[in-house]
Amino acid sequence: MEIESGGIERLADAEAPSARQERRLVREAQEGSGAAMARLYSLHWRRAYRAAYLVVHDAAAAEDVAQDAFLAAVAALGRFDRRRPFGPWLHRIVVNRALDWARREALRRKVAREQSVFEPLPPPPEVSGAMIAALKELPAEQRAVVVLRHLLEYTPGEIAEMLELPRGTVNSRLRRGLNRLREAAGEELNAEVGR
Amino acid sequence: MKDEALRKALRETAVPVAAEAERRGLQVLEAAYAEREEPRRSRREGSRPALPRLVLAFSIATLLTALLLSPAGAAVRGWVGEVVDSPAPKPEPGLSEIPGGGRLLVQSAVGPWVVQADGARRLLGDYDEASWSPRGLFVAAVKGRALSAVEPDGTPHWSITAAARARDPRWSPSGFRIAYRSGQSLRIVAGDGTGDHLVDPDAAPVAPAWSPFGTPEVAYVNAAGQLRIAASEKRASRSGGPAGMAGAGAGRDVTEIEWGAGGQLILEVSPRRLHLQGMRLSKLEGRSEFGVQTALGVPAGAAVVDAALAPRQPLVAAVLTHWRAAGTRSSVVVFGPGGRGPRRLLSVPGSLGEVAWSPDGRRLLVAWPAANQWLFLPLGRGEGRAVAGVSTAFSPGARPASFPRVEGWCCRR
Repeated sequence: MEIESGGIERLADAEAPSARQERRLVREAQEGSGAAMARLYSLHWRRAYRAAYLVVHDAAAAEDVAQDAFLAAVAALGRFDRRRPFGPWLHRIVVNRALDWARREALRRKVAREQSVFEPLPPPPEVSGAMIAALKELPAEQRAVVVLRHLLEYTPGEIAEMLELPRGTVNSRLRRGLNRLREAAGEELNAEVGR
Repeated sequence: MKDEALRKALRETAVPVAAEAERRGLQVLEAAYAEREEPRRSRREGSRPALPRLVLAFSIATLLTALLLSPAGAAVRGWVGEVVDSPAPKPEPGLSEIPGGGRLLVQSAVGPWVVQADGARRLLGDYDEASWSPRGLFVAAVKGRALSAVEPDGTPHWSITAAARARDPRWSPSGFRIAYRSGQSLRIVAGDGTGDHLVDPDAAPVAPAWSPFGTPEVAYVNAAGQLRIAASEKRASRSGGPAGMAGAGAGRDVTEIEWGAGGQLILEVSPRRLHLQGMRLSKLEGRSEFGVQTALGVPAGAAVVDAALAPRQPLVAAVLTHWRAAGTRSSVVVFGPGGRGPRRLLSVPGSLGEVAWSPDGRRLLVAWPAANQWLFLPLGRGEGRAVAGVSTAFSPGARPASFPRVEGWCCRR
């Protein structure tokens, strides 16, 4: 049993696994090694959680998204082609599920706003920082592309494949997202990212 | 803005993460992985030649032996036990005190029990159901057609006999009235056992809920699935129609209603849905009026096991069960004002039972029959507590012992 309490996490310490290490772990996990599966999880969880959080901006939802993505990975592990890298496969699931969640949440909020007689409370204090605040203001689709490009470091071509979008759409979302980030965050953002 | 600067900010800006989230996810993943492992191995067996298979089996056995005998192996063994037997950290062997205080009313196979703040418990007698009076001075208990007021030490105070089997007694906040169902009808009797009268001859099998505004009004669901508010002083008309007003259709599948949050909300619980019916008090007319209804965001595919409205705040605690490829999983979530959230407090493999708010609204009690435990979860920061051996504590001598149901967590004395 665990109770949620606030905590802050940075990605700086979490190193991406090498391709060789990852292939070996995937092979062992497919062959029944729980330890290999747990190792894959520990290598990828922080990155997956962070990517989910930066798209959904909700800690509990990000945890659910990351958890669901790993469960989906376990369910499909037997069919996974181990010559392919595990990370992009997982990230594809994470970002698509995070996008689904963000779209549902946007719809739910719209309906709640129209129907509720209650004054909404201010959102809980979560993360300060111009970057995250500016990112949160982007549409979910643009957030997802920015996160895939600049956190997970995929090329626009890879992102297009992951999200099943034309490459031009990825490029335009990326461009619009970055433009809006610049506009929204302005000098404060420049100061922050320049540190 | 340079790409590298953006990348650095995305990687290094602090994001909130729930304590234990990573370990929680690992537990879920390892449980799911353990479930998928066996079928895969059996499929492979037929396709391998015998000698390599033997060599492989020997190697795996050697590896497993080495692994399990190593310090890391000990951790793996510990984890396996934790996942299979109980994901909760060491539960306390018995209820030595109720976290946060108050008293519990617990319905077991042998009858209702009152549990004091120090964990002492007393069986009230041979009753089918029971519920607290507003200040915990009495318990309304039913047995067959009899409705009784019983003191918490088990002493009967008064009793009346209804025309049909009595169920779901609910004491009004003023203490002056008890609403209950008898057969298909909803009835009200005064707190001293006098003035028993019919409110609606055709009520749904859902426990009524009294207005916390202090007005003599009771909410119930009629046989048509409609949420209704009846003035307790008024009796059913000669034609059988109840006095009072009707709200929006609650739905024929409503299993439970609760009127709480200081009177502002009525919670409607269905197997797949949760709705909040907004309520307001018309001071001019001295009665409640319906406001706007809000649907709470129950995830698609999740079933509502139980839900409860906080005594004074607009918060809803719910136990949800999800069926996934990896197996059944249950979670305890709390919806904020206006259905905001929900925030997940707990997630465990398997099924959970009912949920009850503490009298001060700071804790939840969640039943976990599969683990034979009660879980006491604080809403804010802090450790939860688990109490083991619940079924045997309330079914002394019974084989097998059945898991009891928490009927109410009452006021401090």
